[in-house]
Amino acid sequence: MSTAPSVRVAPLAPPGPGSGWRRKARRRSATRPWLLLSPALLVLGGLLLWPLARVVWLSFQDYGLKQLVSGETNFVGLANYREILGSDYLWTGVLPNTVGFAAVCVVLTVGLGTLAAVFLNILKPTWRTICSTAVMVAWAVPAITGTYVWVWLFDPLNGLVANTLANLGVIEPGTVNWFTDRLGFYAIATLNVVHHGFPFVAITVLAALMTVPRELYEAAIVDGATSWQRFRTITVPILKPVFSVVTILSTIWDFKVFTQVYLMPGGNGGNSEVFNLGVWSYIQSFSQGKYGMGSAIAVLLTGMLLLITLVYMRTLFKEEEL
Amino acid sequence: MNRRISAVMAGAMVLALAACSSGGSSDATPAGDASDPAGQSGEGKTLTVWIMEGTNPNAEGFFEGISADFTEQTGATLDVQFQPWAGAHDKFVTAIAGGTGPDVAEVGTTWTAEFAGTGALADITDKVAEAGLDDDLVQGLVEAGTLDGKLYGMPWYAGVRSIVYNKALFAAAGITTMPTSWAELLDAVEALKAADPATIPFPIAGDSQYGAMPFIWGADGDIATLEGDTWTSKIDSPEAIEGLKFYTGLALDHGSSTAAANTWNEAALLQGFIGGNVGMMISGNWTMGRIAADAPDMAENIGAFPIPSRDGGVAGSFLGGSHLSIFNDSPNQDLAWEFVQLMTTGDAAAAWAEETGFFPGQVSALEASVTSDDPLVAPFAEQMLEGRSVPVTPLYGQVQGAKIVEAMLQSILTGRLSVEEATAEAATAMDKIFSSGS
Repeated sequence: MSTAPSVRVAPLAPPGPGSGWRRKARRRSATRPWLLLSPALLVLGGLLLWPLARVVWLSFQDYGLKQLVSGETNFVGLANYREILGSDYLWTGVLPNTVGFAAVCVVLTVGLGTLAAVFLNILKPTWRTICSTAVMVAWAVPAITGTYVWVWLFDPLNGLVANTLANLGVIEPGTVNWFTDRLGFYAIATLNVVHHGFPFVAITVLAALMTVPRELYEAAIVDGATSWQRFRTITVPILKPVFSVVTILSTIWDFKVFTQVYLMPGGNGGNSEVFNLGVWSYIQSFSQGKYGMGSAIAVLLTGMLLLITLVYMRTLFKEEEL
Repeated sequence: MNRRISAVMAGAMVLALAACSSGGSSDATPAGDASDPAGQSGEGKTLTVWIMEGTNPNAEGFFEGISADFTEQTGATLDVQFQPWAGAHDKFVTAIAGGTGPDVAEVGTTWTAEFAGTGALADITDKVAEAGLDDDLVQGLVEAGTLDGKLYGMPWYAGVRSIVYNKALFAAAGITTMPTSWAELLDAVEALKAADPATIPFPIAGDSQYGAMPFIWGADGDIATLEGDTWTSKIDSPEAIEGLKFYTGLALDHGSSTAAANTWNEAALLQGFIGGNVGMMISGNWTMGRIAADAPDMAENIGAFPIPSRDGGVAGSFLGGSHLSIFNDSPNQDLAWEFVQLMTTGDAAAAWAEETGFFPGQVSALEASVTSDDPLVAPFAEQMLEGRSVPVTPLYGQVQGAKIVEAMLQSILTGRLSVEEATAEAATAMDKIFSSGS
């Protein structure tokens, strides 16, 4: 339905001289982008903006199962936000978990991804294809499967890691349970998320690397630049926009990690020390039926992400203007 | 009707002869039949049913038989969808919210009050009375399915947790009489540990609330009590603290457990037990079938005894089970009730109990199980007589959703908090939910 106008516009009048055609074309060029965008915008509006608006609307209510079933509203103003922002748990537990975990994951994901890209870039095409396929497998594994694999690896009683460490005499078998410890828990979650996230960075950065003109490197070699200098002064500046994109995307993804935390032992409610904002929001909403509270947490998370993205974009564009 | 059921099901199930003699309880003709003598009220309709996965190892075979009976009886088709217990609560809530629920669902007894409180479940008080079933239902299950005097869940089956032990390890440790008090339980733990240090005598699963409760009840403590119309947590009472100190102390002071168990849920506990070096575990009577299916060698080698209370005698243990509930927005209310009756009475109910190792929800049928001389049935039946319920209020669903008891256990087991601190924290969290009102 929404594509119909663009279809009608699509057959272009045969190009010909004359100012009338040119004026028409200008008018067309003003509306055409919107016509072409309209299907995507409608889908985005229906699938993203409307739910988002509803979450914001819910966040101002004390909304439980009862309201959900009856469809009534129960506005409480800013009470949910006041309770969240006033709780120690947010400031000492959930927020440090979310921010710290995301920061570490982003740095590691982008760092490791770039390393992998540089490595792939110097390979011969055949080996590059083989290696990048291998890297992509990590990305293709669903988060659920990946999480269970890591949980099994670190199983305190029968896991590979526990057994290996026990055989090496580092730990006494069965005495260590990494999942109950906040740091241990997040170390495993970090491994999981970085392992799952670095292929995207690697492939994107590799694509960008392959567009860097060879002459620049050749000139640098003639000038006697070391490989580190070549990387710093040629590769990094050219790849900057790509780095910004992968960093912003990784930041957004790592802030809102849910599956990888929720599916780990204790992550689904038993150990409130290890919740991040996403899990906290889910537990409030679906385990406790406090949809208003859960929505308010989700709104705060979204707000934080928008803010981070804005700051990123601003610094990026400012530098380009200079 | 009764004859038809028996005839069809005999093929589908390995049915004990006993089932045939309990026909009296299924004589109650569904109310729908009176107005529709042909009994084909459901021609062309489909009844969607959610059944929890894993209760019956042969669930698919069972429901094939039931489907055939149901179609014959009503003309309607049965669409049985199996749901895993893990995540089921969330799925129910989402379905209730979205109006995408089934016609009939198996609802865990602790959830019935919560879901009924939202108005999602149909009040079946009158239907049960009309069918003349109200005097023959297991009281604990009726209590758990009742909110404000109305019944929202038809008792289907129930089970209870006791202690299941590994006979070989007990024999190796020279334990011949089963513990009947806490002191004797501790002796057994120490004997197992002494016999083989590699044995995990009695793992304390941190993610299992029902494992801890018998020790609270066994010390005359309570989870929460109702005063007037508000519930107050009693999990920080001296009795409850004493029980929890003993229970977690087994792990912390007597090495009965392993650090791995701090995050175990009951499924992981069972896996650990099947591994073969676990002395005993708190487990439900329904897991006997699971063990027989997963580890046939082990099944020969297990025994059970009731969880003891502090000074001797049987401790209270959570009477868990399921109701069958009809969803309010189902357009097939009468058809749904016919299905519920088919499932919860007579031959089908008896066969289900037989196949799953659970106890039926009808008193007349339960009596047969209690007098059983099966060594893997009698101890549970004895424990069942002491069956307890968690606080029956929709708010307790939130307490469970927040995993307050599990979180408390885990913080004690990992040494993050003392028993006093952890119980105080849990009581505060519970009271906050209780005081938030309905």
